[in-house]
Amino acid sequence: MTSTPPSSADTPTAVTTRSGWGRRLVDSLSRYGFVIVFFAFVVFFAVRADAFLNPSNLVNILEGNAVLLIAALAMTLVVASGGIDLSIGIAIDFGGWFAIIAMRDYNLTWASALLVGLLAGAAVGTLNAALVVRLKISPFLATLGTFFIGSSVQQIYTSGGGQVPFREMSESFRSLSTGAVLGIPTEIVLAGTVGLLYFVLLERSVHGKRIHAIGLQRSVASVSGIRVSGYLVFVFIFASATVALSGIILTAGLRQFTPLSGFSYLLDSIAAVFIGASMHPQRRPNVAGTLVGVLFLGVVSNGLNLMGLDFNLRDALEGIILVGALALAFTNRNNRAAEVSI
Amino acid sequence: MTATTVETRRFAAAAPALRLLLARFPLLVFALLFVYMALGSEFFLEWRNISSILRQSAPDAILAAGLAVVVTAGGDDIVSGGIDISLPAAATLGVGILSDQLVNGRPFVLAMLLAAAAVVAVGLLNAVLVVKVGLTPLLATLASWVAVIGTTKWVINNRRITVDHQFISNVRDGTVLNVPIPAVFALAVLIVFSFWIHRTRFGHRLQASGGNRSAAEISGLNPDYFLARSFVMASLAAVVATLVLTARSSGLSPGIEERLLLDMVLATFVGAAFSFRRVVTVPGAMLGAVLVKALGSGFQLLNVDIFKVGMVKGVLILIVVASAALEAGQRR
Repeated sequence: MTSTPPSSADTPTAVTTRSGWGRRLVDSLSRYGFVIVFFAFVVFFAVRADAFLNPSNLVNILEGNAVLLIAALAMTLVVASGGIDLSIGIAIDFGGWFAIIAMRDYNLTWASALLVGLLAGAAVGTLNAALVVRLKISPFLATLGTFFIGSSVQQIYTSGGGQVPFREMSESFRSLSTGAVLGIPTEIVLAGTVGLLYFVLLERSVHGKRIHAIGLQRSVASVSGIRVSGYLVFVFIFASATVALSGIILTAGLRQFTPLSGFSYLLDSIAAVFIGASMHPQRRPNVAGTLVGVLFLGVVSNGLNLMGLDFNLRDALEGIILVGALALAFTNRNNRAAEVSI
Repeated sequence: MTATTVETRRFAAAAPALRLLLARFPLLVFALLFVYMALGSEFFLEWRNISSILRQSAPDAILAAGLAVVVTAGGDDIVSGGIDISLPAAATLGVGILSDQLVNGRPFVLAMLLAAAAVVAVGLLNAVLVVKVGLTPLLATLASWVAVIGTTKWVINNRRITVDHQFISNVRDGTVLNVPIPAVFALAVLIVFSFWIHRTRFGHRLQASGGNRSAAEISGLNPDYFLARSFVMASLAAVVATLVLTARSSGLSPGIEERLLLDMVLATFVGAAFSFRRVVTVPGAMLGAVLVKALGSGFQLLNVDIFKVGMVKGVLILIVVASAALEAGQRR
């Protein structure tokens, strides 16, 4: 444990100054170590579970993880700006909850209900933005506070977490989850659209560059004329509105809202973002990496499921595989992985 | 934006008395709430209630002490610095093993040793993942959280285990000089960890490597060594928490770890508001755990809807943390 010499801990420049194709091969192998581990799992499941490579199962994996992908993309944006959002579960819940209330109690059309849900998510983001930008609370604690408040609000108005069913929801709203566009399930289309939007925003626009700059060095970004507060307000509101969409998809699929159900997406989306960040040359959160992270979590969960293992054993294996895959993919890398600073 | 700057300037120009008030604002908020509760219910200040609060908050306080050590060693930047979110999961695994072994008639010492070994193994795993593999503490402990929760479910088959064991009941109900035994354990952790971190050369070096990693490296320290040690120290706290938790719920109730995680993180970072330099400290974290529990109990005595307690907790962290941030801003 103590044998690591201090000098090897922080040598981010060493990678670029090395020469020789052999070294470069090793570098890129270790950089894509996680992808290799990922494919090893795909091959393993394909051999061990016959149904795994069926096209219908692959579509299943994509569809089953569309909601997580949307949440993880929003998390990518927040982490890229140097923050973290622990309240995404609340925005997921509020999105679905308000959409259902809008249709059931106010008889709004499905499109207006969708808008109401997105606005409810944006409201959660506005609170986060106000806390972080105006009151200068660190994003971790601000969004933790939002989480406590949001959970409590749900418990108060659902008598401690009672479900809010709406069996008679219109077919159009329901098709947000169950429908298909040109034969592709709507969930995948929605997640793909959000993914494309985030890719253009974060990786291909000047705004994305500025958001990354804020995440890397906030004071430097500010000095170089970037409107840091404005961007942070945008990031928190936009991210929360995005995850509200995944909440709406969830309620559309289940035809009911289950309070506090969004929390289960928090840890998975953080894991996906950091898996993705570790594949980036500068260890930055990025859209493509997040997609790989989400797919990895989805494939492992699906594959273990198909192997017909005991429910409890499956949970244990999922966790152990996550630890093992991360360890395998990151060993032999000199610099500390995922240098995302807040 | 401009409004805040003007406001901040006005604060800076204000009388020292006002600045002192702002600096002590978090403590003041708690004090006022407690006065309000004491006036609202005479039972609140009775020793029976206070000792029940101490008994209930002991596991959270002990875990918060462990987290405080990791944050001290790794730096208080939550995303890239030191954090160990797997502590509640490790303690839950310990509770599962201890309960399972006791129910199967294993002698207490052996059962406790098995549980302790598993909990410390989680600490070692975290240390290896962070220092050897090079994952950030948040990612490493997130991964081990998932793995440990899954393992716990598998090992104990995701069921409620009720323990009826003399020693466990003694820990749950017993007192030493009128102080509940769980609180005595928490006090012991407080004394040992405070001494370790604040009074030994090792502790000072650990603080230095968390305070400024590069500066510590230049002065010849190896920050990774201290970070690794802090994960193991935190897991020792989780071992103590295992015993106290088993006593609190007379065995294992599946799913306790999420509540524990939130309360541990809340206590640790609210506790920072009580320190002079606004940094995470062991005593601050433990005090935070007790005060948060006391608030919950007070609101219950005042017949506040239990669902609203979460709201109060949320608003409270925000008040405490915002006042700390505001004060830090004007000190600059």
